[in-house]
Amino acid sequence: MFYRQAGVHHSNYKTDSALFPIPFDKWSIYTMLALGIFAPAIFGSFALTSYLLPWMIWAGAALSLNLLIGWAGQFHFGYAAVMSIGGYTAIHATLAGIPFEIALILAGLMSMVVGVIFGAAAMRVKGLYLALATLAMQFVVDWVLTHVPAIGGGASATLQAPDMTLLGFKITSEVGYYYVAFGWLLLVTLFLLNMRRTGFGRALVAVREKDYAASILGVNSFYFKSVAFAVSSFMGGVSGAILVFCFYHAVTPEQFTVNVSIQLLAMVIVGGLGSIIGSYFGAAFILLLPGALNTLVAYVSELLGLQIGIETLAHLPNLFYGILIIGFLLYEPLGLAKVYDNIRKYLMVWPFGYSKR
Amino acid sequence: MTGAAVQKADDKLLICDNIERYFGGLKALSNISIHVNRGEIFGLVGPNGSGKTTMVNAITGFYPPQSGKIILNGEDITGRKPHLIAKLGVARTFQNLALFKGMSVLDNILLGRHIHMNPSVFGTALYWWVARKHEVKNRKIVEEVIDFLQLQSARDEPVETIPLGLQKRVELARALVAEPSFLVLDEPMAGMNQEEKEYMARFVLDARDEMGMTIFLIEHHMDVVTGICDRMVALSYGELLADGVPKDVIAHPRVVEAYLGGAH
Repeated sequence: MFYRQAGVHHSNYKTDSALFPIPFDKWSIYTMLALGIFAPAIFGSFALTSYLLPWMIWAGAALSLNLLIGWAGQFHFGYAAVMSIGGYTAIHATLAGIPFEIALILAGLMSMVVGVIFGAAAMRVKGLYLALATLAMQFVVDWVLTHVPAIGGGASATLQAPDMTLLGFKITSEVGYYYVAFGWLLLVTLFLLNMRRTGFGRALVAVREKDYAASILGVNSFYFKSVAFAVSSFMGGVSGAILVFCFYHAVTPEQFTVNVSIQLLAMVIVGGLGSIIGSYFGAAFILLLPGALNTLVAYVSELLGLQIGIETLAHLPNLFYGILIIGFLLYEPLGLAKVYDNIRKYLMVWPFGYSKR
Repeated sequence: MTGAAVQKADDKLLICDNIERYFGGLKALSNISIHVNRGEIFGLVGPNGSGKTTMVNAITGFYPPQSGKIILNGEDITGRKPHLIAKLGVARTFQNLALFKGMSVLDNILLGRHIHMNPSVFGTALYWWVARKHEVKNRKIVEEVIDFLQLQSARDEPVETIPLGLQKRVELARALVAEPSFLVLDEPMAGMNQEEKEYMARFVLDARDEMGMTIFLIEHHMDVVTGICDRMVALSYGELLADGVPKDVIAHPRVVEAYLGGAH
């Protein structure tokens, strides 16, 4: 309907490889961008800090993980550990008086170094074994955070995030935090969008699909897997730092437990492996659904006058949440991105469905 | 063809000297010595399981030989990793297609340009200033090969959705865009009908004549091999049966015996 491709002709390779070759796509992206920029003026303070801000931060983290899983095909079960390294590094760096911009880069670099060390060891094995090897990273980092006082501040300690100054602006308001998270998400998204059209992204997909065929084309699969670990860990580290500074304002080991790793994995898988918009959907789904289900279950039980015990009431949303995830894996393994894609393809030819390719 | 042949490597692109490869107790290749001259189409035939693909895998670095030497362009490449051998200008296709699912035909072929592109993280991050001009330049070369192999209509399709004959052609295109000096084709015509076979044979001849590649061809279709190859060898159970011009090789008593069984 809206997505007419007819009449869209590109006469050079530059415009043909534009990010959004279809005009409708381009304009809808611009609209979303404008919505994102003016969000603080449109949405209230509550929606901004409890929905939009976490969504932006987690979408950035999910995208970073998606690079590793969706593009390079390397599972990572310890991504929260990668983020925690970034978070702790940024806190310690700023407490030591290092400017926030440099602390962010340090956070990324530290995550990258640790991530690649674990990654290089883990990459000797493939598939599920790799997943378990990365899970080991989660537990090692967890242990270090709780048992090394110099890093974690001692058992069950909380390190407060100092005030942040970014590019000369002192950021203390909710709106400021939002823009920092939004800016980072934009950078991550742009990088992944570019990756879809460069040799780097293609090499990663080649390694994921058939590493022997990739090698005969001159793709060094170990190198590209390592680079994928490095880039993904860097972005994960910065995302972790932003999560700590803009959302939690403090850091404790409990923020980055194995549950968080699993949640991130769920965001990527439910959203859609190797899909950018999918990670946005996935993050929203995993973050917002439990709350929405809570409200829904409470509303329905009240509406029907059911006498549901308070404990059952608390557990029911979890049940539905689990069912939904299983349902996705069973019926749409390619995730929400595929659902979106189906709708988009349908609208592309509507009402002339018979002309579907 | 023994040690003496190794010295004058100028007109010989590839020399395999006493290659031996076994898997456990199975001897897949025993003392194979062959050479491929620059600019020729060289055929390798043999019944199923005779070691043809193992031979190619030894040359391209997947299964390095346990003994013997492989010399490409005067350089010893024995035991070198496949991605390093690819950088020396060797490209190949696979017997059972090895295309990358989930990518378009165009992206698959663009991957063939990998060794000429040197892709990086920074180039990707700074796409507009760094990677774009490389991408556009390489896209032009890829489009020429797409024209050459008549793949225009399939360009934007996901590669797993197009017919097998076209997929084989995409794989050939991916090998061709690398602009290799040595092209290895592992049964490019398997499963094709007569018309598709003729197309493919024409493409192989054109690749040699127009792009100046040396071609190493594994094929079961004897009509094709005898029709387009300059020289060929026959293998059976990992042993070299015959070596020479096609009409002599297929008439060789041991080759006839390997294919049709001996007279008892």
